[in-house]
Amino acid sequence: MKRYWRCFVCNDIHVGSRPPEVCPTCRVRNAYVEVTAAEAGIIAQTTTASPPPDMGPEAFRAAIEAFAAPNVFRVSPDEDRVQLLLEGIFANERKRGLKYCPCRLTTKDPAEDVKLVCPCNFLAHDTWLESGACWCGLFVRR
Amino acid sequence: MKKLLLFYARECPHCRRMLPLVDRLETETGVVLERLEVWHDEANADLMRSYRSVIGPKCGGQLRTPTFLNTETNDLLCGEVDYETLKAWALR
Repeated sequence: MKRYWRCFVCNDIHVGSRPPEVCPTCRVRNAYVEVTAAEAGIIAQTTTASPPPDMGPEAFRAAIEAFAAPNVFRVSPDEDRVQLLLEGIFANERKRGLKYCPCRLTTKDPAEDVKLVCPCNFLAHDTWLESGACWCGLFVRR
Repeated sequence: MKKLLLFYARECPHCRRMLPLVDRLETETGVVLERLEVWHDEANADLMRSYRSVIGPKCGGQLRTPTFLNTETNDLLCGEVDYETLKAWALR
């Protein structure tokens, strides 16, 4: 069960079964205290000086490029594939609320479906192990 | 009675690659696949979900597209395959 945690120094909010040992923002050790979901929501909104704009395909593309940069995978060099997938990801977000993979259908079981949000945990999947790509091919081994 | 279903998604690159092979299969063999788009048609999506226990074990535990399913035998293909594999499945 995920819980909510607040850094008592910088008010970063963390969601997880355990708090981070070191706050990634202010670098203070053992800084997290548990809070309620309601508190976490209010704090997250009120402490964000410049809330991120709605994330469109370009911003999402930049986010996944940054996500991939330090990893063993990269965003596919096949630009047509990437554009098609981004189209599907955002169509799914508009219709279903989250950026679901366009190549796997949701089951209507929220605990299962959250595993289909892009980027998914593809490093654990058979397709990554066998072919070095996520199922849809958005991420490929370097 | 044998019924061949193709569950696909409009923005799925694997599906885009397989659809021309399905066209060729239908032209060359006369078999017909029922093409069911699942991300933009909720009835098709629910139909695919109803086969979850059949599709899941052979598709990484997920409802992956494209999935080719013979509803009589539950024989299925998951993902991109070559033409001969597709043909062999359709004619089995």
